[in-house]
Amino acid sequence: MDNILEVKNLSVSFQTFFGEVEAVRNISFTVRRGETLAVVGESGCGKSVTANSIVQLLPQPPAIYKNGEILFNGDNLLKKNKKEIESIRGNRISMVFQDPMTSLNPTMKVGAQIVEGLRKHRSLSGQQAHKIAVETLKLVSVPQAEKRANQYPHEFSGGMRQRVMIAIAMVSEPALLIADEPTTALDVTVQAQILDLMKKIKEEKQTSIILITHDLGVVADMAERVVVMYAGQILEEGTVLEIFKSPSHPYTKNLLKAVPRLDMNRSESLYSIAGSPPDLYIPPKGCSFYDRCDSAMRICKEHMPELESHSPTHKSRCWLHHPMAMQQKEAKG
Amino acid sequence: MKDVLIQVEDLKKYFRVGKGNLKAVDGLSFSIHQGETVGLVGESGCGKSTAGRTMLRLYEPTGGRVLFKGTDVFSAGSREMHELRKKMQMIFQDPYASLNPRMTVTDIISEPFSIYGLYPHRAEREQKVADLLRLVGLSEEHANRFPHEFSGGQRQRIGVARAMALEPDFIICDEPISALDVSIQAQIVNLLKEIQRERDITLLFIAHDLSMVRYISDRVCVMYLGKMMEVAPSEDLYHTPLHPYTRALLSAIPVPDPVVQHERRRIKLEGDVPSPIDPKEGCRFVDRCSYAEPRCREITPEQRELRPNHWVACHRADELFLK
Repeated sequence: MDNILEVKNLSVSFQTFFGEVEAVRNISFTVRRGETLAVVGESGCGKSVTANSIVQLLPQPPAIYKNGEILFNGDNLLKKNKKEIESIRGNRISMVFQDPMTSLNPTMKVGAQIVEGLRKHRSLSGQQAHKIAVETLKLVSVPQAEKRANQYPHEFSGGMRQRVMIAIAMVSEPALLIADEPTTALDVTVQAQILDLMKKIKEEKQTSIILITHDLGVVADMAERVVVMYAGQILEEGTVLEIFKSPSHPYTKNLLKAVPRLDMNRSESLYSIAGSPPDLYIPPKGCSFYDRCDSAMRICKEHMPELESHSPTHKSRCWLHHPMAMQQKEAKG
Repeated sequence: MKDVLIQVEDLKKYFRVGKGNLKAVDGLSFSIHQGETVGLVGESGCGKSTAGRTMLRLYEPTGGRVLFKGTDVFSAGSREMHELRKKMQMIFQDPYASLNPRMTVTDIISEPFSIYGLYPHRAEREQKVADLLRLVGLSEEHANRFPHEFSGGQRQRIGVARAMALEPDFIICDEPISALDVSIQAQIVNLLKEIQRERDITLLFIAHDLSMVRYISDRVCVMYLGKMMEVAPSEDLYHTPLHPYTRALLSAIPVPDPVVQHERRRIKLEGDVPSPIDPKEGCRFVDRCSYAEPRCREITPEQRELRPNHWVACHRADELFLK
């Protein structure tokens, strides 16, 4: 089988005092063996909820899985009980979180934290565990691994802590690594180190990676395929070249225009997308980008567009790509 | 060339910490011309925000001088300072933490009026607030709302309106967009550019995002561990970076274009930024620099003008990159 993960028609909501927030609305995507899939989107678009749903880190309530399946190697993770999930999470599927400052335990030696998960899944002697911890620290290029394994998180810099987080995730040699904004809290020179490290590990271990980020530069650097999320939906999906070279959804196009590039001319004006994303307490009936879209048509407000395929790998959710769209435009004009 | 509005000379700010002196800003000199936008970039902990805050005397300086239109800011008495602050304002990074959650937008924007006793009549004041709200792309309807009712981008607009209330000549923007989403960042940057054009305001734009800084600034200053590494017109800095640190920094930023990005060669920087507590003599970048020589460890490099308006603090910049 080619796909390690298949998400089908997933909808996740949160029950709040003010009503139900439809954070993820009917999304489907796949992750192939050994590939890096980037999930891009702005804050609140549902990208982290999607990631946390895969490893089921969302407390229920308030989270509700309304619909859908998450198939990992063909097994539906949403049907698993707590014990079964625990045998997968941190073992076959691992996560790296954004903030390396708060996601490590400050009272525990780094070496012990690296093997903590492993010792839960396998019986290991203290010596064996220590040996594995040191080896994993070497894998993530932490110098003086022997000594570092016996230190506490506060003795590590931000970049080094993120290496430790990756070590924790990689120690069980997972088939799938979910990295949720792994470099957002880091400086660019350190970010470059961490991205190189993730590439190296992927090559060596053939790990599939879901990279969640809002930084299009990081996406261009790391990903093979890209999923663009907005207001809880997937608006566009394609290979990295398709997304960057022939984006088809107006949101993707605008997003690419809104980022200043180091190699762009300074006299070019920055494109800004007016307004802000819709409120997901009352998700719009039609296209969720309607309010902010320059090419919006009447139909966009009333009816949700379907995902249209442009190539075997490239899809987008926009009425402009409907076979009847030209007529629509003329009718409006 | 327009007149110099701000002249910073050998600015120093040390913080006493248990083990010694944390030299956050250690001898910074640069100037900003009337109507210009100067970017100040560097990685976290390099002292860029401290430099900005010390320039406005939000921190008391350890040494150096800042001249604002020829007036020495650091030797000004409290009454003089009160007047100076009117002309020098600041926009802060976190739009969630820099607005008082218990004040309405009107209260927030008109607080500077109360402090300076301007527009004592209510109607006049409300009119002024409405003008400011329109200036930053909000409307009068927003005047009586509280900060929590706004999105991050809108809050930053309120921050801009507050900074503009006293019609300042100079605004320091301390990472004004780094807490915002990509699509909102462009809105705020365009707003700042527009206001600057309309009102002829001088900006110091502090940020770590070099691509945005290059876009908005006329000149860019690159800081590393409290020292200025390179100052140059932004196009020049991008096309011919002359400091090994600037070169590494530029090459580390991923370009949002897979074709370009995959062909770029990254200059690898090993390790992390060293501690700014009692740093050694010599170039601050020496431990991470692949061109370092023995003299780099002994003599702190002075800034030299190697190209027109392009200043670099590196012993070897000319022999390495100007051939």
